[in-house]
Amino acid sequence: MDAVRLAGLLSLLPTERTRLLDNLGRIRREVGPITPELSDALADHMNIRHGEVHEVVSFYSFLQVPTDAVRVCTGPMCDCRGARELLEQNPGAIEVACLGHCDLAPVLTRGDEIVPNVTHSTNDGPALGLGRRDETLADYEARGGLDVLRSLPSLERIIEELKASSLAGFGGAGFPTGLKWESVAREAGPPYVVVNADEGEPGTIKDRYVMELRPDLLLEGTLIAMRALGAHEGYIYLREEYATSRERLERALDEFHAVGLLEGLTLELVIGAGAYIAGEETAMLESMEGRRAMPRLKPPFPSQVGYLGRPTLIQNVETLAHVPAILRNGGAWWAGLGKGESAGTRLWSVSGAVGRPGCYEAPAGITIRELVEEYADGFTDEIGAIVPGGAASGILPPSALDAPLTRDGLHEYGAGPGSAALQVFPASYSPLRLLAETMRFFAEESCQKCTPCRIGNRALHHLAEELQHGEAAMTREKVDEWLLAMEKTSICGLGQAAPFPVRNAMRWWPERFAPIEGAVQ
Amino acid sequence: MTAVVELILDGRKVTAPEGELLVHAAARHGTFVPTLCHDDKLEPYGGCRMCMVDVEGAPRPVPACATRVSEGMVVSTNGSVTGLQRTLTEMLLSEHLNASPGGRPNELLDLANELGAEAPLVLPDAKRKPYDDRNKLMGYDPDACILCARCVRYTQEVMQCSALSIEGRGGHARIVPTWERSWLDTECELCGGCLSVCPTGAIYEKFEEGTTRPERALEQVRTTCTFCGVGCQVDLNLDPKTKRIVKVTSKDEYLPNEGNLCVKGRFAFNFVHHPDRLTQPLVRGEDGELHPTTWEHALETAATGLRRVIDEHGPQSIGFLSSARLTNEENYLIQKLARTGVGTNSVHSCEST
Repeated sequence: MDAVRLAGLLSLLPTERTRLLDNLGRIRREVGPITPELSDALADHMNIRHGEVHEVVSFYSFLQVPTDAVRVCTGPMCDCRGARELLEQNPGAIEVACLGHCDLAPVLTRGDEIVPNVTHSTNDGPALGLGRRDETLADYEARGGLDVLRSLPSLERIIEELKASSLAGFGGAGFPTGLKWESVAREAGPPYVVVNADEGEPGTIKDRYVMELRPDLLLEGTLIAMRALGAHEGYIYLREEYATSRERLERALDEFHAVGLLEGLTLELVIGAGAYIAGEETAMLESMEGRRAMPRLKPPFPSQVGYLGRPTLIQNVETLAHVPAILRNGGAWWAGLGKGESAGTRLWSVSGAVGRPGCYEAPAGITIRELVEEYADGFTDEIGAIVPGGAASGILPPSALDAPLTRDGLHEYGAGPGSAALQVFPASYSPLRLLAETMRFFAEESCQKCTPCRIGNRALHHLAEELQHGEAAMTREKVDEWLLAMEKTSICGLGQAAPFPVRNAMRWWPERFAPIEGAVQ
Repeated sequence: MTAVVELILDGRKVTAPEGELLVHAAARHGTFVPTLCHDDKLEPYGGCRMCMVDVEGAPRPVPACATRVSEGMVVSTNGSVTGLQRTLTEMLLSEHLNASPGGRPNELLDLANELGAEAPLVLPDAKRKPYDDRNKLMGYDPDACILCARCVRYTQEVMQCSALSIEGRGGHARIVPTWERSWLDTECELCGGCLSVCPTGAIYEKFEEGTTRPERALEQVRTTCTFCGVGCQVDLNLDPKTKRIVKVTSKDEYLPNEGNLCVKGRFAFNFVHHPDRLTQPLVRGEDGELHPTTWEHALETAATGLRRVIDEHGPQSIGFLSSARLTNEENYLIQKLARTGVGTNSVHSCEST
C-alpha cells in the first residue's frame, strides 16, 4: 500500500541531496512514517546510499512517527507542571524533550494541534511591537513595515548602525551582529542567509511569538540582510513542532511573493524533524545539506565556510526582527532602550510560577524581580530555583532575584543570560529534579559524536536521579573532573555549557549533594 | 613545493610541512598523541576527543587529529590535557561493557592502562541492543563499540558502500548494519575493512570465536595474497603452537593495498590447511600413478616432455595457460617464457574469460 502511494509521490521529489530532509518530511506526511523500505526507495530515487538515509532518518525524533501522534512535552517546566500525569492520561503518547510552548505548560500536541490552545501574553515593546498581531501584509505596512526595505541604506551604513546599536545575536551565544555582517560581507561572491528558527532551548518561546504575531517583521529583517549582503538565496530553518509559525510564515511568504518583494530571490522554509542540536548553527547546515545534524568542527566559521561551503550569515529570528527598527530609528536609539550599561531591548520568555507566563519585550539589563513584577504579573508561589536563560544558562537560587539578567550581572552566580528564557520554579519542585530533567534533556539531545557530551550528560543525569534517592556513584573529585572535560573538550555549545546547571546546583543546594563523597568541603 | 612552517611543540622548535595534521607532525617529532577515532585512511573526524592538545591563543584545547599546523603555532601535549584525556578514557570505559569480544587488541584498554584510567561508574543505559548476524565471517558486539565511527566512515569513504550506519543519537546511538539487516542483505561485500579499523574489536572475525589466543600472541608472516594479480600484501597470523593460520591481516603501510583486503584475501585462507592441497611436486610413474619427487626431477621431466613436442611439432604446437591466482609478475614471466623461451604466441590466462 505504502509502496503504491510512494510511487506516485517519488517522481515529484527533487533529487538534490539538500532536499533529503524535505523529501522525508513529505513522505511522512503524505505516505506515512518512514520505514526501511520507504527510506531505501527514496535513497534509490535520490542516488544516495541506503545507509546514509538510514542515518538521517534515525537521527531525528519524528520521521518514524505518524504525523497525528500525540506528543507530550517533558521539558523541565512541563515536568514541573504535570507532564507525567499527562503521559499517564495519554497512553501511547510520545515523550518530547521540549515543544517550545512553556508558557502554556504542561503541553501536548495532537498532530499539529497544540493543547491547550495557543494564546499569547505579550506587550507592545518599542522595537518589535508584538502587542498587536499583523493579520496581513497590509497590517504590517500600515505600521511602517517595509519602509526600511523599500529605501534600503548602503551596506556600510547598515553595518555602522548595527554596530552603534550593539545588537548581538539573541540565540544564546551573543555574537555582535554588526561584526558578523561585516565578516560575511568581506567574503567574495554571494553568501547565503540562513534564519535559525529552530528554537529549542527549554523555556524559550520568543522566536515563536515573533513568527506567530509578526511574521512579516522577520521576513523584512531577512530580506534586508539578503539585499544588503547580495545574497540570492535565503532559508528559514523552522522546527517541526511549530505548526502555527509554519502556517503564518507560509502566508507571509505568499504575500511577499505576490507583491514582488521576492523577485530574483529565493527565500524558503526548511522544516526540521525533531532534534534540538539542529539549532546549533553548523549542525543546522549539516541538516540542510541532507546529513545528520552533527555540529562541524570550528574553525572555519560559517561566515567563511557555511552552507554548501559558501560564506553564510546565520541569524536567530529575534535578532533579524530587531533590524528594521534599528535601521528606521538609528542604532543609538535602539541602544538607548537598554537599562544601565546594557543596550537595547530583547524578548524575555517567562514561564513557571508567575501570574502571566508569556513573552515580553523589555530592556536588557532588567533584573529577574523587575521582569516578573512589571511584565508577568508577579510571582505566584514561594520561589525555588530560577533558570535565567534556557537550560544551558545555569540554575539560580531565589537570592538572585535582584541580579540583572546580563552576562556581567549573572557572572558572580556562575550563570549567563543565554536565550533570555526565564523559568521560575516553585519551592515545591526539587532543584535536584530540575537538574535531573535538565541533564536528561541534554543526554537525549546530544548528537552522540563527541565522547564528553554523549557520555558526560548521561552520567550526570544518572547522578542527579540517584541523588534524589540519597545515593551517588561518583566522588566529588570525579564529578568535577568530568564537568571540566565536558566544558573543555566538547565539540559544540551543548556539551560545553551543560556543566553550568550542575555546578550551580552543587553551589546553591550543597545539602542535596551530601551523598557524594567529598561533596561537603 | 609545500612550504615548511616552524612551530613550538612542548617547548621544542620543530618544523612541519604547512597544512600537515598536528597529530602527524607530533608523531614525526617523536611525540605520541593518543587517538581512537583517527585513521589515516579517513577524513579527520575529531569525535573521540582523545587527541586534545593546547594551542596558544585557542579558547579551549583543540583536536590534534583535525587541526593543521601553521607558522608560529605553540602546542602543548603534556599539560592539563593529560588529565582531560584520562577523564575521556574513564567516560568511554563507563559504557564499555565488553572489552574483548573477539580477541582483538583493544586500543581503549591500552590507553586506560597508560593513563591509569578506570571507570568510576557503569552507565545504567550502557547496555545496547544486541546484534546477531547470520553471516559466517564477521561478528559484532555493540557493547564493545565506542562509537568512534571508524567502521562507518571506512565503508563510506574507502569502500564507497552502504554497509554500516550510525543509528539514533544521544545514549541510544549505536552502530549497526544498515537498518539492522544482516550484512548479507546490505551492499556489504564482507571485505572486513570495518573490523580492520575497529580499535576495540567490536567487529571481529567470527571464526576466531573459541580460540584462546589473543591476536598479539600470534606470529605474523608477511606474504602476497594468492587470490589475484593485484598482489596485496598480507600478514598470515599463525598460532605459534600449531603453526596454523588463525586470521589474515594487513597493514596501512603495505603497498599496493594500503591495508585494505577483499573478502577472499581476508577470510578465504582455509584452503592452505586443506588435506587435498598439493604441497610437493608429483610425477606420474610408469605404473600410471603420481609419485612424490624432487623439484629438479619434476622440472626435468616437464622440460623433456615439452622439448619432445617442440622437436616433433614445432613451438607453435605449445600453448601456455596461466592462472588468475598468479601475481602480475608471475603472469609476466609466463608470457616471457612462452614467447622467448619456447617461441609460441599461444598464451592465455583464465582471467581473460
